[in-house]
Amino acid sequence: MNRRGFLGGAAGTVAAAATCGPGQPAPPAVEFVGPEPERGHHLREGTWREGPVHETIHTDVAIVGAGVAGSAAAWRLRRAGLADVHLFELEDDVGGTARGGELPRSRHPLGAHYLPTPPPGCPALERLLADLGIILGRDRHGRPEYAPSAIAAAPLERHFGRGRWYEGLYPAAGETADEAAQWTRWHDHLRHLDGRRGSDGRPLFAIPVSRSSAELRHLDAVSFADYLDDLGFTSARLRWAVDYACRDDYGCTLAQTSAFAGLHHFLARGLEETRGGFLLTWPEGNARLVRGMLDRAGLGDRLHRGAAVVAVDPAAGELLVHRPGDGRRLRVHARAILWAAPRFVLTRLLAADPLAPGALTYAPWLVASVEVRTAPRGLGARLAWDNVPLAGPSLGYVVATHGEPADARRPGAVLTYYEPLCGDGPAELAVQRRRLLSADLSRWSDHVVAALSAMHPGIAGEITSVSITRWGHAMIRPVPGLLFGPALARARAPIDRVRPCAADVAGLPLFEEAFYQGSSAALAALVDLGRAAPDALADELL
Amino acid sequence: MSAAPGTRLLLASVLVVATCGLVYELIAATMASYLLGDSVTQWSLVIGVYLSAMGLGSWLSKFVVKDLHARFIAVQLVIAVVGGLSAVALFYGYAYLASVRPLLFSILVIVGTMVGLEIPLLMRIVGEGQELKDTVARVLAFDYVGALLASLLFPLALLPHLGLVRASLLCGLFNAVVALACARVFREHLARPRAALTQALLVCAALAAGLLFGGRLERLAERELYDAPVIFSEKTAYQRLTITRSGEDIRLYIDGNLQFASSDEHRYHEALVHPALAGAAPRRALVLGGGDGLAVRELLKYPGLERIDLVDLDPGMTRLFGRDPLLVRINRASLTDPRVHVHNADAMRWLEEHVRSTSESYDVAVVDLPDPNNFSLGKLYTASFYRLLRRALAPSGVGVIQATSPYLAPRSFWCVVKTLAAAELHPRPYHAHVPSFGDWGFVLVSPAPRPEPTRLADVPLRFLDDALLPTLFVFPRDQQPPDVDYNRLNDQLLVHYYEEDLRALPGRGGRG
Repeated sequence: MNRRGFLGGAAGTVAAAATCGPGQPAPPAVEFVGPEPERGHHLREGTWREGPVHETIHTDVAIVGAGVAGSAAAWRLRRAGLADVHLFELEDDVGGTARGGELPRSRHPLGAHYLPTPPPGCPALERLLADLGIILGRDRHGRPEYAPSAIAAAPLERHFGRGRWYEGLYPAAGETADEAAQWTRWHDHLRHLDGRRGSDGRPLFAIPVSRSSAELRHLDAVSFADYLDDLGFTSARLRWAVDYACRDDYGCTLAQTSAFAGLHHFLARGLEETRGGFLLTWPEGNARLVRGMLDRAGLGDRLHRGAAVVAVDPAAGELLVHRPGDGRRLRVHARAILWAAPRFVLTRLLAADPLAPGALTYAPWLVASVEVRTAPRGLGARLAWDNVPLAGPSLGYVVATHGEPADARRPGAVLTYYEPLCGDGPAELAVQRRRLLSADLSRWSDHVVAALSAMHPGIAGEITSVSITRWGHAMIRPVPGLLFGPALARARAPIDRVRPCAADVAGLPLFEEAFYQGSSAALAALVDLGRAAPDALADELL
Repeated sequence: MSAAPGTRLLLASVLVVATCGLVYELIAATMASYLLGDSVTQWSLVIGVYLSAMGLGSWLSKFVVKDLHARFIAVQLVIAVVGGLSAVALFYGYAYLASVRPLLFSILVIVGTMVGLEIPLLMRIVGEGQELKDTVARVLAFDYVGALLASLLFPLALLPHLGLVRASLLCGLFNAVVALACARVFREHLARPRAALTQALLVCAALAAGLLFGGRLERLAERELYDAPVIFSEKTAYQRLTITRSGEDIRLYIDGNLQFASSDEHRYHEALVHPALAGAAPRRALVLGGGDGLAVRELLKYPGLERIDLVDLDPGMTRLFGRDPLLVRINRASLTDPRVHVHNADAMRWLEEHVRSTSESYDVAVVDLPDPNNFSLGKLYTASFYRLLRRALAPSGVGVIQATSPYLAPRSFWCVVKTLAAAELHPRPYHAHVPSFGDWGFVLVSPAPRPEPTRLADVPLRFLDDALLPTLFVFPRDQQPPDVDYNRLNDQLLVHYYEEDLRALPGRGGRG
């Protein structure tokens, strides 16, 4: 019997001893959480469109969607002193894809769960973080100082392969000399590009992405896989690490991601080893930021949860809102409408959309939060914040309880499991989406438990709860040609009084993009309303 | 009467069984008093439980009616395994279990029962074809000789030369060798002689291997061993607190790492507190860590102090040092002084909350935390933590950080200094000799640059004076800063430096 077999056997005996007798562990509680696919179906089918109107609201600005972009818009309008703002959210909870959930052991994310500290030159984002108390102040060089409770602490990452865990996210164990040389050369390549500006004076890769220099924009036309091929990066290890980054950030494989978007991930905030920044995170993920923005926006009962926008008249500035909870319907007249919901939903409501249907593609994701009685360990590197298997389609799990202070020393943990359902084109994505939404609860919970068990044999007996979130359209996919192509420009262009401003019309599924889309749309609305000077936009955001 | 070779082996077995049986009992009793303190109680409990378990075993022997040889060999192997591994199991149990008592008594009951079962079995095997009086006389004589042997061997040879772990492994090996010999000699009495032989061989091999690596096991285990009698030991929710006493010297260990020795702690705590307060008139002080109340005791020598906030994670620690008469004598009841406010919380969270919620700042801060030997403690040595500290200090405030030993852990010490510089705290490293720790390092910090202190305040001191003070800030040639990076919350380099520093040490030293 080998060592692992022996240890496993011993653990099994102990577990059997602990579980024999009357107190058999209850099977885990399993549920679907997050967005309700039925509401999306009603919108698509138009079933909520007909019926009497119970109430009419006149307002300066109507925001559709209480995700990051909509909340940022509401926060920004409030800062400008505009109070007459209504926000309509389809789901019963705010957050969009940055929604959070709660299990008895801990809060946890249902989707987006961290934000890198912004690079220099993002004053608006820093203003938000200061407003939310995440930036505590500045050092004598004027650099922000962040609240430690929001900083993802070491150990940050580990990966699982050949039966044990290794530190970091590059599978170095067993690499050949050539592979090691390629990894070094890859870093040299990134270092060469790091911090550079184009001849137009702009950074090569900027946040938001629209501010990037024109110099390397041609890289958006090729896939990241082709780009690596051209440079002779053939190492499977290197390609796994880069592919992981693409799937993690964009829900796309290496071949599906544009080279510009891929490089943007590595370089827009400065190279990881030199930028000196942090990853900001909270037990409930970016839901903390959304709630913070909405708290400060102070909308009160002008924040409408469970309110489906079922019709839009851009020219008249009119929305029809159906509340499935009580069946009431509102007509909303707004001087400006900020469409902070996914752009494809707007397409469905418009009589005629300049944007071709299917021009934007979205990645479906499966996310599951799993409550366990004892925190997982594993052979090799210790439990990290982010724990990634080398094999399989999943991205592994993030520990929601990672940042708990030492005085909350409680057993157990909540692990949030992420799996993008990658597909090559609209047809494959549609298949994946159907698979995601049609399979029943036990099928997905078995799937998640099996994926975790591959990393932690025996973890199934430790699980007390599994909450499954199905994101049919989790994020915009930055496929080659999207970022600087005509479709995105069309997607973002205002339609009469309607300004599309969710992250998808920025082309990259990032908090920062959603934030900048939402707050600049808010500012544009203020200009339209005569509440801000036209040049305020350039001043604040650039 | 000439004894058959089988009988001679059996009588030798009696000797081994008796000797090893008593050695296990002595090991258990020694460990119990080492680990749990109160040796009189532990010794009497161990002896009582062990003897009654032997009685139980003897009584149980009447239910063994056939296959006496096979049963004897099996019993011998159980003793070899359980007894042989008892010390290792107790050390690790002590380190990882909430209470080691159930394990201790389980081992005692198993070994005692088996030894009690074994002697009657032996008598019956030896006694086949003999008169009862001869059998009893011979077996019991060897039994008592074995007891004498054990009581001499254990204190004079086994404990001093082998230590507890290897002593128990060696006895286990003897038991296993007896089983092996019996399995060979009595093979025609056994139903499955090969199986018995294989089992005995396996146990022998395992214990011999253990003995071979026993040195390493013991070094790991010795972390839990103390030089002096334990007078108190408690596993709180966060750590194990152990207090030992040898004459007048009282020592506190946290998780086996020395925190102070009463004979020289005045050196440590005077060096920690008073240089920071030279030339200052503090009104509000903050102490992070230092739940022993000794830094607070030094602070309370300054009559101008109006308030001291002490933040220590472990309520078990502050309760102990607030109540126990012996400890209260050492910290002069500092924790129950009305000016002292104790907060049991994570220092990082408490400080962040403080910085967020109030603008009240501290004139002096004393950071006296255990060494950064894990990520939870390492967090409290990061630039992020020190930035909070800077915010909590008044602009003219001053602080001091215990920063490990610049001699034993140079990379760690200078990493702390560099981290404080990154947090804009103008670090001034210094060190003092504390015999029980060795050369120990501290860092003076302040939000605004300050000159090196030259005159101590007029408070009663036993170690520091104005002549010694400037010399503390001098580092000799062989203690110049190595090339290290600073400690960030998202990489925690310091924990790695500290591990490397400890690995580089020839013997373990310092506060661990």
